[in-house]
Amino acid sequence: MTGTIARKEIAANLLSYKFFIVILLTVLLLFTSFFVLYKDFKARLADYQLIKPKPGEPVAVLPPNPLSIFAKGLDETMTRSFEVSRIGLSVRAGQKSGNALFAFFPAPDFAYIVKVVLSLVALLFGFDQISRERENGVLRLMLSNPVSRAQVLAGKWLGNFLSLAAPFTLVTLLGFALINLDPDVRFGASGIGRFLMLIVIALLYIALFLGLGILVSALTRRSASTLIVLLLVWAVIVFVMPNLGTLIARQMVDVPSVKALSEKRQQIWTREILLLQVESRAAGRRATGTRTEGDLAQKHFDAINTDQDRLEEDYRKKFDRLVRLSKAINRLSPAASFIYAATELAGTGIGEENRLKYDVVRYKDAVIGDLKREVTQHAAFTYRYRSAGQVLAEGGLFDVAELLILTIFLAALSYLAFIRYDVR
Amino acid sequence: MTNQKPILKADDLSKRYEDGLLALDHLNLEVRPGEVYCLLGANGAGKTTTINLFLNFIPPTNGTCFINGIDVTKDPLEAKKFVGFVSENVMLYGNFTARQNLDFFAKLGGKTNLTREAYYQVMRRVSLQENAFEQRVKTFSKGMRQKLGISIAIIKDAPAILLDEPTSGLDPKAAEEFLEILGELKSEGKAVFMSTHDIFRAKEIGDRVGIMKEGRLVLERTREELQFEDLVKIYIDYMKSEPLTA
Repeated sequence: MTGTIARKEIAANLLSYKFFIVILLTVLLLFTSFFVLYKDFKARLADYQLIKPKPGEPVAVLPPNPLSIFAKGLDETMTRSFEVSRIGLSVRAGQKSGNALFAFFPAPDFAYIVKVVLSLVALLFGFDQISRERENGVLRLMLSNPVSRAQVLAGKWLGNFLSLAAPFTLVTLLGFALINLDPDVRFGASGIGRFLMLIVIALLYIALFLGLGILVSALTRRSASTLIVLLLVWAVIVFVMPNLGTLIARQMVDVPSVKALSEKRQQIWTREILLLQVESRAAGRRATGTRTEGDLAQKHFDAINTDQDRLEEDYRKKFDRLVRLSKAINRLSPAASFIYAATELAGTGIGEENRLKYDVVRYKDAVIGDLKREVTQHAAFTYRYRSAGQVLAEGGLFDVAELLILTIFLAALSYLAFIRYDVR
Repeated sequence: MTNQKPILKADDLSKRYEDGLLALDHLNLEVRPGEVYCLLGANGAGKTTTINLFLNFIPPTNGTCFINGIDVTKDPLEAKKFVGFVSENVMLYGNFTARQNLDFFAKLGGKTNLTREAYYQVMRRVSLQENAFEQRVKTFSKGMRQKLGISIAIIKDAPAILLDEPTSGLDPKAAEEFLEILGELKSEGKAVFMSTHDIFRAKEIGDRVGIMKEGRLVLERTREELQFEDLVKIYIDYMKSEPLTA
């Protein structure tokens, strides 16, 4: 019976104007996103070819991540170039998006479209399932038959989910296949696996919002009220909660700004250079000094390095605390959980970026060691992205589990609401 | 007819809503195979509440509904196998054709593997125009939708049919055609229970007529008894009389 209702829902959707418009909009948005982000990736790849270090150069820089086409996340930050010298690290711009408008508007990547547009589309599919059918009396006719409310609910959920999931998955896979035709974009087996997992998580997120739509539909008597309530809930989940979480965490953890950090770095630099000048002059006057100028300079470079490392370490600890707290608060919103899971799987998430930073610092220490030993040819910087398994083990699974549990929870609540629903 | 077991039976049935309103007060009635029972009453008298209780849309406060001997509250899915339902305003899936709607509800009613011709036959039987069979229902008039509604009840082939003011808003010709169909169903041995405001048609088609007021069945007459009584006068007298709770 569930199958009969699900098939009816699919057929009703295929025949409806709403379905046609919504799917057309989704397809257009997805293809536009794939095209824009693919072009952006190619431009950044061209930048990388220009700035990539020559053999032996002490520069750490990553090529753009092909999966950033779908979940850009922090890829621009991760692909900056880090130059190592005796006094530490200096960060260059790296490969920046050619599209200046990305500074004003978030990158319209696959993850963003799913987070904002597909969640709304799922709500539009779910909002009229119960309240609209009560209003027009079809629900009474349906339930006058030997069909349980659980079957009706399951059929509606399944039919609408498939109506939405099938075109979405097809379009996404088609986009991926087209991008894959470009030999410059190498996803590899791991990339393909991660991308498929990304689709699964996106489908889970869509299922969650469809369930939310059906739940509110089963809690309200009129479809107009359902829509108003859902739009409010959607705005809170997708926009308000993730931003509010970050703001609250910011109030609770005191992290210096990047500008303040840069000022401090400059102060350390200036202090040590002044000291070096004073000591150099004093050494010159003594003439019989035991230290050469080179030794003196090295001493102060070491001091700069040590103090800046300490500063950086302190900043990173505070920043990590801020990130952990923000994440914990933001995870109250499934939209945030989805973005965390999607970007981490794509290798453009905050966890991956943090890991990269530690690797860059290790690389810097190794290069400075080389420089002290007068070695001029340095090993190339290498970075291995975490495997999908590692990503899941290090928090990704938590986000996926949250989406799954919320989806099941909403389905259970919908059932409870529907068995008490007055169909008259 | 009277010796047969009732298909529909309300046994001491009461319903008090959450707001305290007593919508149905110890109702007892039976409808046997081949019998048409017409329930008359003003708006709010308890007619639709009775149908809602038979379909288990709401739980009774007291008493029991039986369909084909099955307690509706205890085993609603089993009970619903034996009843068809036509509402006052049949609203189906507007983007589906008449045949597609019929197919969906037939499947819900347990009738799978019916042929296209089987659906057409039922629609012909209720005098739905041939060119409407594959037309989208959103273009249908109310009369056409009511005919399609009764087709849905017919195709289920249940022994009982509940109709909630099915002729309300229909033009006289459409209402007459509708009653003809009910007459056929009666002759096939279906137990038909119809709530209505239409006294004249109730007298014409009903084997038994009940009058409800404020949730109570205040009068019940057989077709034979009504031959010697003026149903219109009785009904109006009841409606004009003092409230029962006064």
